[in-house]
Amino acid sequence: MNMLRTENITMKFGGVTAVKDFSLNIDKGEIVALIGPNGAGKTTVFNMITGVYKPTSGKIFLKDKDITGYRPDKITSFGIARTFQNIRLFKELSVLDNVLIANHLRIKSNFIEAIVRLPKYNREEREMHEKSIELIKRVGLLDVIHEKSSSLPYGKQRRLEIARALATNPSILLLDEPAAGMNPKETEDLTEFIKEIRDEFDLTIFMIEHHMQVVMGISDRIYVLDYGVTIAEGNPNEIQNNPKVIEAYLGVSEDA
Amino acid sequence: MKRKKYNIIFSVILIILLFVILYFAKLYLDDYKSRILNLCAIYTILGLSLNLINGFTGLFSLGHAGFMAIGAYTTALLTMPIPIKEQNFFMAPLISPLDKIVWPFLPSLILGGILAAFVAFLIGAPVLRLKGDYLAIATLGFSEIIRVIFTNTQRLTNGALGLKGIPNTTNLFWSFGIAVITLIVMILLINSSYGRAFKAIREDEIAAENMGINLFKHKILAFTIGAFFAGIGGGLLGNLIGAIDPLMFRFFLTYNILLIIVLGGMGSITGTVISAFIITISMEALRFLDESINLGFFTIRGIPGLRMVVFSVLLMMVILFFRNGLMGNKEITLDILANKLSKKPLTKGGVKR
Ligand SMILES: Nc1ncnc2c1ncn2[C@@H]1O[C@H](COP(=O)(O)OP(=O)(O)OP(=O)(O)O)[C@@H](O)[C@H]1O
Ligand SMILES: [Mg+2]
Repeated sequence: MNMLRTENITMKFGGVTAVKDFSLNIDKGEIVALIGPNGAGKTTVFNMITGVYKPTSGKIFLKDKDITGYRPDKITSFGIARTFQNIRLFKELSVLDNVLIANHLRIKSNFIEAIVRLPKYNREEREMHEKSIELIKRVGLLDVIHEKSSSLPYGKQRRLEIARALATNPSILLLDEPAAGMNPKETEDLTEFIKEIRDEFDLTIFMIEHHMQVVMGISDRIYVLDYGVTIAEGNPNEIQNNPKVIEAYLGVSEDA
Repeated sequence: MKRKKYNIIFSVILIILLFVILYFAKLYLDDYKSRILNLCAIYTILGLSLNLINGFTGLFSLGHAGFMAIGAYTTALLTMPIPIKEQNFFMAPLISPLDKIVWPFLPSLILGGILAAFVAFLIGAPVLRLKGDYLAIATLGFSEIIRVIFTNTQRLTNGALGLKGIPNTTNLFWSFGIAVITLIVMILLINSSYGRAFKAIREDEIAAENMGINLFKHKILAFTIGAFFAGIGGGLLGNLIGAIDPLMFRFFLTYNILLIIVLGGMGSITGTVISAFIITISMEALRFLDESINLGFFTIRGIPGLRMVVFSVLLMMVILFFRNGLMGNKEITLDILANKLSKKPLTKGGVKR
């Protein structure tokens, strides 16, 4: 079954074309990676899919529903959740609050029912708490649940972002460089973790990643962007042996 | 959840205690002192409502004086007796049906709050799409526009002459009663899922929106609720002082409230309450700065406005050196007090750094 599809999405910023005619096709349950050198337009693809930017042209479909041009909160409610390349937690708030907030979009009580604490609201609040604590436990942050999120070390902040994204009940999860800043051990754990949550939460995963170890290890398929243009698409093996990719991407990282 | 039960019981006891104290205050305090206490309660309401918008939701709004004006005029016009209305509107008669109706205080206050909220809802649509400084300028402009409108609607507001002889309905029970209700509503709101959504918007709009929070809906909600309580605060103020005119609702008034929340801590309910009392009382205590001081052999000429210079310097100091104000975004809760009193080490529910 088709989960996420884009048709020739293009994003222009003034004279710069950040992404050109990007066409994507992800089936349910797949783990698909998007790679490419710095500034290739990967995050811009995420921003178009999640509604942060409206594509200059092209269309985006979630389970065959046209979602082009919707607001980010709408798109999240349709079932697309994301994490950010430069971690964007609610810094002053606790780990628990961060995850609780991501439950808010599904709340049924209105604000008056919430203020007077109707039983209906209390039940929803309790359910949100239980679900959030469960998620926090799942990502291994139970011991720091009441800590301010900005006080966590980097790796834990990344996991908190994933827990928060999961709290929105997504059917597809977009991860923007989840392994950035992690040490090899953490990176390895993360790879396993992503596979596990895919199965546990019945997810489809679309991720941007620089660590080849992660990408080659878990991706079913890979898209490669260079200067906003899709230069290759295929399974890890095909990508590794694609001369265009080696030149544009792997070549660059060897130099670095 | 035994603790929750205790908290509720303890809060009820505190509130009863407060009203017993007020009862005696009303008996023994002179007019001047009870007026200052009234002002403390009213500024608490105003501070809490502005803090909801600015401190908790992170919207830099400077429109409070405008909302207060709407509430104050509504309440005054509805509660003034008919002969007083006729005396006031000698230039041009008050439009009907306002010239013939007199409402009790409570419904007048509530309608004042609702009208302020309604106007906030209307201007929120265009204004809340702006961010930061632009929002501040737009709300400030709105507040001034309200003032100019009220100066020019002779048959509704009596223009620049203002309204005099407003019944002095506001007393300690009214002002503290409503302050307590406002406090409870704010605590319940801030600690609900909606309150968390407000804080999420304050922390990071982009992240909040990507976590499914409808930014506009929640901003306008906070803005409207804040305006509602500002309107009620305005109504209480008008019926405390007994006379209002458009000049009373200059930016200066918003500035005072801003001072309260900045000093108390943006995003702290307890901080706002404490600071509302401190600022209101010291504003009165420092009144001598504006007036002449007679030292017997010679008089120091007072400089009108010197008091505000002191407060402005204070505001600058707070912003420069104590960014977080008295409380930052922390709270003094009953749990913390209980822990302090029993000298137990702080447990999970206590202060967390
Ligand atoms: N809001 C914007 N306005 C103007 N230009 C932008 C904007 N967002 C991205 N760009 C430009 O688009 C191009 C692609 O940026 P993008 O962030 O998508 O790259 P990326 O592939 O995610 O890179 P990295 O690996 O560094 O994260 C860059 O040249 C960037 O400067
Ligand atoms: Mg990027």
